Amino acid sequence: MNGANISWTRVGLPRRSFLRGASALGGLAAAGLLPARWAQAAGGTLRTRTYADIRSMDPAFSQGVVDEEIHAAIYNKLIQYKPGREWGWQLDAAAMIEQADDTHINFALRDDIGFTNGFGAMTAEDVKFSFERIIDDALESTNKPDWGPLSHVEVTGERTGTIVLKNAFQPLWSITLPYIAGNIVSKAAFDSVGGKIDTQPVATSGPYLHAGWEPKQKTTLRRNPDWKGEAAAFDEIQIYHIDDEKAAEIAFEAGEIDFTRVSLDSVERLKSNPIAGATLEEFPSLYYVWVGMNLDNPKLGNLKLRQAIQHAIDVPTIMAAAYFGAAEPSTGIIAPGLAGHRDAPLTGVAADLDKAQALMAESGEAGVSLAIDVLNKSANVTAAQIIQANLAAIGITLEIRLHEGATFWELGSNEDLELVLNRYSMTPDPYYATSWFITEQAGVWNWERFRSEEFDKLHLAAQSEGDPAARAAMYARAQDLMEESGAYKFLTHEATPVIYRNSVTPALRPDGLPLYRYFGTA
Amino acid sequence: MLSFIFKRIGLAAVITILAVSSLFLIVHMIPGDPVSTMLGPRATPEMRAALEARMGLDKPLIAQIGLFFANMLRGDLGMDVFSNRPVSEIVLGQVPYTLVLILVSITWSAVLGIALGSYSAIHRNSLGDRLTGILSVSVIAVPAFVVSLYSLLIFAVKLQWFPAIGAGDAGNWGDQLHHLVLPSLAIGLSWVGYIARLVRASMLEVMGEGHIRTARAFGLPERQIVFGYALRLAILPTVTVIGVGMGFLLSAAVFTEIVFSRPGLGKLVIDSITTRNYPVVMGSVLFSTLIFVASTTLADIVNAILDPRIRAGK
Repeated sequence: MNGANISWTRVGLPRRSFLRGASALGGLAAAGLLPARWAQAAGGTLRTRTYADIRSMDPAFSQGVVDEEIHAAIYNKLIQYKPGREWGWQLDAAAMIEQADDTHINFALRDDIGFTNGFGAMTAEDVKFSFERIIDDALESTNKPDWGPLSHVEVTGERTGTIVLKNAFQPLWSITLPYIAGNIVSKAAFDSVGGKIDTQPVATSGPYLHAGWEPKQKTTLRRNPDWKGEAAAFDEIQIYHIDDEKAAEIAFEAGEIDFTRVSLDSVERLKSNPIAGATLEEFPSLYYVWVGMNLDNPKLGNLKLRQAIQHAIDVPTIMAAAYFGAAEPSTGIIAPGLAGHRDAPLTGVAADLDKAQALMAESGEAGVSLAIDVLNKSANVTAAQIIQANLAAIGITLEIRLHEGATFWELGSNEDLELVLNRYSMTPDPYYATSWFITEQAGVWNWERFRSEEFDKLHLAAQSEGDPAARAAMYARAQDLMEESGAYKFLTHEATPVIYRNSVTPALRPDGLPLYRYFGTA
Repeated sequence: MLSFIFKRIGLAAVITILAVSSLFLIVHMIPGDPVSTMLGPRATPEMRAALEARMGLDKPLIAQIGLFFANMLRGDLGMDVFSNRPVSEIVLGQVPYTLVLILVSITWSAVLGIALGSYSAIHRNSLGDRLTGILSVSVIAVPAFVVSLYSLLIFAVKLQWFPAIGAGDAGNWGDQLHHLVLPSLAIGLSWVGYIARLVRASMLEVMGEGHIRTARAFGLPERQIVFGYALRLAILPTVTVIGVGMGFLLSAAVFTEIVFSRPGLGKLVIDSITTRNYPVVMGSVLFSTLIFVASTTLADIVNAILDPRIRAGK
């Protein structure tokens, strides 16, 4: 798989490191030293696809990538994700940003960013408003955890300020400032509508304007004529809401969209029968899929039994049959390229039947009959059937229980849960992964009811750890603890195959998600 | 006639109340917590409680039904918890797409089906009749989603004559019509066969009746007998079937909207059920029921206009 070894390029910079790039970038563009798509707009329309309809144009209530794909194009942040195969960030609204110490981040805004609809220039007051409103309990923003220990933002000048944290928080650079919670909105615009918006932005500032939303059909972005930064490459971006990946593939083949994610089972077909004038690329995904075992269920109280299950599951077969060979086995909950990714799992990738049978014998269990709960997606069902066959080989009868989405996601509170095939989304910081498995989350999102004081301490300490190597070691140890409990068998991070027309130069995150503001023409 | 219409409208109101109440109970009986689905994993207990209160989920079920109908009578279907937009606005935004799709599908299929059925009846046992019979049964047997997929692959992907996704640009009638061709083909095709068979059978029955024989005995032109007298009666079962068939058309529209990524009521219902978005589910179901009930009532009224015996309750 391409790009398996992705890594942060600007996280963990030494303290007091300075980045003063925006003005230099602007200068290069002016001098014609940057590629054409940066220097001048190419025009035309980019037609692309999203798998769900938008929910909110208010960053405080954005529910994830679907909204953020649009927010990132119409709003600005101090920093944005850098397109490419390695995780990193680049300056956006900030002309300068520096980590002064563990808890203070100084920033200076560019002086050429304005809000639409007459809401004036972007100032440090807007930054303060945008960040502090998310941690305000009265607003009830579901994105509050992204701001971790934010205390407040100090405004030190019209365009300068300091982000003040209560304690060090490393994910700030990887999932706060360049993602949903980092979007800067206009204080005056939000005040004019009572402090909150829904699906219609009041004022934006990015290279594209929000030109229209046809519910269940499409969102249209249009070039912002007042944008002074790197010129937007397209006159218009039309983002079509197409739920089904197969329907999106047909739309691509029919020439109606220029970029889409494709399904894993289509990868082989698209490789052997390439679509003329199009390029297929595969990216590693950050999602993690695993088999969990409920430690509070007496049927799974025997550690040797759980270990036998861990060793009986054959991950390569699951990758071949359920993921069509388009995904790689995972070693834990942290994907390659992120701090804490382990090179290998403790329980191996391929099944070790001899060891599994020996562990079964040691466990003293016989005639074991268990159930696995599965979301009714074809990959999950196939994976569950393989696991069923794997466990049958060591004398365990496994019943597969299928659920539709809303029912499945309720299972966490079910104390009688036995095995579960689960899949969580992920952001590019290990803190986000471990946060669901702490003791406090037992029975909420920690469905295995895994409780470890050491794990909890590691989760807490690692979010503040400034030394990248030490931080990585902490997360690696945390995953060891999960696996040693016998409650987890890690399967895969899946993959994100995308297809695009050769007339388009896509700008994608290392996990294959689009950054439309940086899309260009070939 | 007026009292007939009032009776039918009264019956339609009762059916709507019963259908919506039943669906309300079903929706609330299925497992799955809408609050978790809507707020995602990071909501605090306080946020969950606040949303439950806002959705009225903290009240007993019977109180929730009562509140729904009371609000409905005031024209308030509640707010969508995701986007905070009025449900009536969301649903009314989608209804036209589905209505247009259904109406266009049934109109072209009815015109073609009636023509083919009449031709078959007039030319009974001819080669044309036999061919129409075979083709009719063939298209009846093909489900709408199969026609959707194959028409997409042939006319959108291979030939690129018609668009594959969406409903066309708002305000651009030509574009919207262009986007309607394949979905309405998918929904309407099986109805062509169904209506053709129905009209043929009905026509043959009517053509054997006494008043048609009398008309022939008087030497009236065959065209006048067929189109002026026979077809008028033969079409009655077709009108009833189309009215009752609105439920099937709505179901076919769900698949078609998904395959063609068209906005519409069907897609809205699926999305809102998946996310347990109760206010939108109820609003969508209410409008679907209203469409169904209105179409059957309209079919009854049209039948009564065409046939005085129905008006008289004979």
